[in-house]
Amino acid sequence: MASTATHHDHEQDHIAHLREKHLMLDPLPRGRMNEMVMESMHDTSWKFWVVFGILSVIVAVFLFGAWGYMIANGLGVAGVNRPSYWGIFLVNTVFWIGISHAGTFISAILRVFKAEFRRPFTRAAELMTTFGLVQAGFSIFMHMGRVWLSYWLMPIPNQRGLWPNFHSPLSWDLLAITTYLLSSTMYLFLPLIPDLAMARDRTPDGTWQKTFYRVLALGFRGTEGEWTHLRHAMNIFAFAIIPVMFSVHTIVSWDCAAATRPGWNSTIFGPYFVVGALHSGMGAVAMVLAVVQSRMKHMKYFIRGEHFDALGMLMLLVSMTWAYFFFNDYMVQWYGGDKWTQQLLHFHEAGPLGWMWFAMLIFNVAIPWATLWNKKWRSNPWLLFGVGLLINFGMWFERYIIIPISLTINRMPFTWRMYTPGVEIYLGIGTVAFFILLYMGASRLIPLIPVWEVQEGQMAHSLKKYGRETVVTISELE
Amino acid sequence: MTEHFSRRDFLKLASVGAATSAILTGCGPASRYVTREPYIQMPEYTYNGQSTHYATTCRECAAGCGLVVRTMQGRALKVEGNKNHPVNLGKTCVRGQATLHGLYNPDRVQEPAKQSKRGSRDYSNLDWDAAIGVVAEALKNTKPSEMAFLMGMAPDHLFDLVSDLAKAIGAPAPIRFGARGMFEARATLSKATEVLFGQAAMPFFDMSKADLTFSFGANFLETWISPVAFTRGFANMRRGGGHGRGTLVHFESRMSQTASKADMWIPIKPGTEGLVALAIGRIAAEARGGVMPAAFADVGVEAAAKASGVHAEKLDELGKLFASAGAALAIPGGAALGHSNGLETAEAVLALNALVGGLGRAGGMYLTPLAPMQAEYHRPANLKEMAAFVEKLKGGEVKTLFIHGVNPVFELPKSLGFENALKSVPTVISFATFPDETAVQADYVFPDHHSLESWGYQRVAAGSAQSALSGAQPTVSPYYNTRATADVFLAAAALAGGKAAEALSFKDEVEFIQSKIVALVGESDGFFSAPEINTFTAYFQQYGGWWKTVDELSTPSGDALGKAIQVAEAKFAGEGEFYFHPFVSPVLAEAGANKPWLQEVPDPTTTVMWSSWVEIHPETAHELGVDNDDIVLITSEAGAVEAVVYKYPAIRPDTIAMPFGQGHTAYGRYAEGRGANPADLFGEQVNGAGDLAFAGMRVKVEKTGKTYPLSRLESRMGVYGEALGEEH
Amino acid sequence: MTTELKISEISANFAEGEQGKWGMAIDMDICTGCQACVAACAMENNVPFVGEADSGYGRSMHWIRTERFWEGEFPEIKMTPYQPVLCQQCGHAPCEPVCPAFATVHSQAEALNLQVYNRCVGTRYCANNCPYQVRSFNWRDYERPEPLPNQLNPDVTVRRRGVMEKCTFCIQRIHRAEDVAKSEGREVADGEFAPACAQACPADAIVFGRIDDPESAVSKMARGARGFHLLEELGTLPAVTYLKGG
Repeated sequence: MASTATHHDHEQDHIAHLREKHLMLDPLPRGRMNEMVMESMHDTSWKFWVVFGILSVIVAVFLFGAWGYMIANGLGVAGVNRPSYWGIFLVNTVFWIGISHAGTFISAILRVFKAEFRRPFTRAAELMTTFGLVQAGFSIFMHMGRVWLSYWLMPIPNQRGLWPNFHSPLSWDLLAITTYLLSSTMYLFLPLIPDLAMARDRTPDGTWQKTFYRVLALGFRGTEGEWTHLRHAMNIFAFAIIPVMFSVHTIVSWDCAAATRPGWNSTIFGPYFVVGALHSGMGAVAMVLAVVQSRMKHMKYFIRGEHFDALGMLMLLVSMTWAYFFFNDYMVQWYGGDKWTQQLLHFHEAGPLGWMWFAMLIFNVAIPWATLWNKKWRSNPWLLFGVGLLINFGMWFERYIIIPISLTINRMPFTWRMYTPGVEIYLGIGTVAFFILLYMGASRLIPLIPVWEVQEGQMAHSLKKYGRETVVTISELE
Repeated sequence: MTEHFSRRDFLKLASVGAATSAILTGCGPASRYVTREPYIQMPEYTYNGQSTHYATTCRECAAGCGLVVRTMQGRALKVEGNKNHPVNLGKTCVRGQATLHGLYNPDRVQEPAKQSKRGSRDYSNLDWDAAIGVVAEALKNTKPSEMAFLMGMAPDHLFDLVSDLAKAIGAPAPIRFGARGMFEARATLSKATEVLFGQAAMPFFDMSKADLTFSFGANFLETWISPVAFTRGFANMRRGGGHGRGTLVHFESRMSQTASKADMWIPIKPGTEGLVALAIGRIAAEARGGVMPAAFADVGVEAAAKASGVHAEKLDELGKLFASAGAALAIPGGAALGHSNGLETAEAVLALNALVGGLGRAGGMYLTPLAPMQAEYHRPANLKEMAAFVEKLKGGEVKTLFIHGVNPVFELPKSLGFENALKSVPTVISFATFPDETAVQADYVFPDHHSLESWGYQRVAAGSAQSALSGAQPTVSPYYNTRATADVFLAAAALAGGKAAEALSFKDEVEFIQSKIVALVGESDGFFSAPEINTFTAYFQQYGGWWKTVDELSTPSGDALGKAIQVAEAKFAGEGEFYFHPFVSPVLAEAGANKPWLQEVPDPTTTVMWSSWVEIHPETAHELGVDNDDIVLITSEAGAVEAVVYKYPAIRPDTIAMPFGQGHTAYGRYAEGRGANPADLFGEQVNGAGDLAFAGMRVKVEKTGKTYPLSRLESRMGVYGEALGEEH
Repeated sequence: MTTELKISEISANFAEGEQGKWGMAIDMDICTGCQACVAACAMENNVPFVGEADSGYGRSMHWIRTERFWEGEFPEIKMTPYQPVLCQQCGHAPCEPVCPAFATVHSQAEALNLQVYNRCVGTRYCANNCPYQVRSFNWRDYERPEPLPNQLNPDVTVRRRGVMEKCTFCIQRIHRAEDVAKSEGREVADGEFAPACAQACPADAIVFGRIDDPESAVSKMARGARGFHLLEELGTLPAVTYLKGG
């Protein structure tokens, strides 16, 4: 009997262990869980407002103030010159579009492939997409010489018969990014409806939040018909947004790849840019999750080591893919033997900013490979935060190498000149602050955890005993 | 439009006007004077939207190129070359193009003014009556012998007027001076011509038809004497004006812009140009056979090779090349003549032309014809004369000094002490259009019109095979409250009375000019002819001057090879380890620094903008421990300047070079406080013709530890491979 | 009368191998690097000056610049022949397709690359994609203190900040010459006019005219054995032919 008892204890330990590790196996009552999510939104310390205030000042001064100054005085206050006509503005644009990629990737692809670990953090990732695209938009508009005329790039029928040039990769960009912003916003919104309805029902009458939730919840009551329509719409969007996501960064890469510049007109640029975007985006997701888990109430319940573990594996995979594409791009360009490209490749490594090239490889490849293979390490939120931060630096360097540094070298050596950033540094810091600010603001209003998805997952998961083994089973809901 | 003059008629008339307005003066014989009125009352020959073109003379240097200025509604818009003008045949140089930035410069002197204390720049404006009163008082109350007139280099109508005035009242004749004349060694050229051919004249080098040109330091593609005319000659030589593509060989210690166009650049040791010319002469004479001329008989080729650093084999090659060329030409000039042995060097080089039969031969050397109304060649003052003049000032022998068209405080060697000498002159009256360094040291500034607002004529001293008098007329009405200096002198003379009033009894400047050019009325072989003065004046304005239609080049006579030419070893003042090679900035020249677009035009060889620099060979710089953009202190016997290093790969390692043109302490916002002035280093050593031996200096170079980034158009990465990494 | 909007008419036609109409030949053997063309161009086309700091930072506005390199070491060092580089007015221009606003277009009448200043929004893509790096961007509103603006040429637009600009082959002079010729019922004669650079060039190293006329001076020069195009391998079909220097 002792052995039975031991076995039973052992069995209990095993189940407790599984519950502790896996959110899906650790259900709480629905009411309690809804409360937890509401509390996580309302539990705001004074520290939050201090950070919020500082960031607001940074955004006001660095982003809007400096931009206004630049609009009034011309781009001369930035560091762009001949031949580096594009500087940090475009670096930041590509960087932020890259950040926005991971949100959709994690949410849509993992949803399509029914990866269960996605459930608690799809929302956090989707918010990154939308807020990242806002920063990308800021960055690209800041770069324009006459931003007040930017509507001329839209195909607006007009009396003078002026029309944008659809031959230009920039026109493709505009369409791709606008499409992506609209579709990703809708894709963020759809799964949010049940949670907004939940928040509406738990917000006291007469508050502005109540109005906010009531309007956005679109009268969702949770009927069977509503759920069916919602699932249907989400399914369509999840599939449809994947090609949009891939196309948007491919098209961004064509800004470079379709040009006649050495180092730019490379056929691998499309997938290379997409993978690069995922690389930085995954890193950013890891960073956001680490912060959310440690700073927001109840989040230790929703976000666990298993999520960081899964994310870490994905990051490792993406890092490997990126390294392959980098190698491919380098090889093909080097093998091409064009004298200007040769000069450029040499300049990347041995020029004044050669350290950036090496830092890029270390941050993007060496460090992820050295750390993320270890399950224990990659389950550690702060380690993953650090690796994610370095990857983001590495990917920013990659874009810096591709844009201003590569623009330094062209076919007219008489014009080669280094680029020294000016006011765009502050503008870049401003976009980072604005991104964090938007995220912090959203965390007070929008349930960062898709509660219904977690609950749905928990309902589908159960522990069943087959013979002497307790195993995890998942039922198909849809 | 009125019922008599419909819009259609107007347009017809306008298009006819457009079609026929190649050069339109708007001045018939009846309209002798341009009325200077605001364009609210538009002259009847002006149409809205149509340009009016005026022919005039470029005054950015003394070459006297003809310009056609495009104006519209009273504004000068563009300077173009006068196609008929014999000096430039429709072309202009970079400085001519930028004249408009002088005309519409925000820093011009706008009113006649009195300075409370010299150098204070505290001006109280006068009206012109008061200003003329000041000049009249000066003319009346100063003893004529204690008056002095210092003028610019151009032999123009104002020089004639002042000469007449000085002669009438018994004052010393006006002095013509300009730093360009100093660097061009004009006195040396005419002296050498006098020594060899018995006639002081400006030589004419017919490069157009030459097959081979040896240039000994003459930077004729930059600023030398008449750069547009020489550039045309060079281009024609290259195109095969002789018998095929002509060859240029240039001897200079630094690769100047001219040297950079040479097929062969010989980086000769400074001061040995004469020796090399003699050696080439000897080898060429041997190669040609016959009797060895006395001029080259005593020459030691080996010694010349040793002194100059040019290999004997190279000299042999050059000598034979010179002897065998169809039409060979040798030109002396620039730094080669700015040595203690400069005169002899000029003689040796000119003798080379005599050796190969180049005197009076197509593609050879002639003497420039005298300008109309000129009895003999009149050269600008050399440095020796200027030094004597400064001594006179210092001795208090001058009570009133009139200065026009020159900026001696900036242009003369600082060691001469012109600025100091002014302290001994009780009254200094400047007629500068710009608040230059000299005007700042004057008691009064009575601004002249800008050249594009002025009447005048100018004798063409060089560059034209035809005898030419270039004409000037206002292309726009004066922008500021300025007045023609000629008019000021005429009015003041009338006020002063006496001999001055008698000599200058003209109503105004135009009447004075007509009194001079009336001598040309009835001349038959001119570009135009007119029976009487008013019609002549109208044509003179319309075509931008008067010139003969036939070449009047004369062949130098005399036995140039008859006696031995001795070129002594050049003497170098100072102790330093480097030869100092100053050159006139090819873009700014001596007076271009106040024009913003000239500042932004890159120097041809270094591509530097907005500053000056010192050229040091990269290896020398390495030895000195200095790099690009480091500031070094250059010390000569006479002074010291700080300059920014440009590591120049095409300069002798024992020589450093510096452009002249920047380093202003006044002269408007675009000039002031930019770069350094090499004239601060100059001593007083002169050559046999009295020209400054500006290249006969040794200087010390010291690192200061300071830096200043030079603004360059070129990429240091792309051109010099800087910051591109080690291997390639 | 009805007006129809035909969008197809205003879409650019990027025909491969379009033959130029106006062309230029630059003899590098004769060019003395004197910079007269640079100043003449600036004066004719209202090109602003930018000052010392900006001009040294690759922000000078020159529409034409003279390039030169070095070969060898002292004393055997040679300067490569001066090469004035201006907009090559490509027949197949890389700048044109990349402009999202159609501010960089090929004109059918003159067969030139036009920069439509008031359509330009300043993306600077054209300048990035120009292999010759001859476009200049108005990084600021450049100051011309009074009374310098008196000199501005009324035939040429003064550009404001945020706008790209470049050499136009002095299109205002082309139009004026064509108008005059038309009013006289004839064709524009060869050499009747020249852009400011060619007009000023003291060496006559720059020759301008119709390259579609085999008898014009520029065509004859361009056909010579010394002729070559800058970055010929890119297939941009430049209208500027350089003649090799010695």
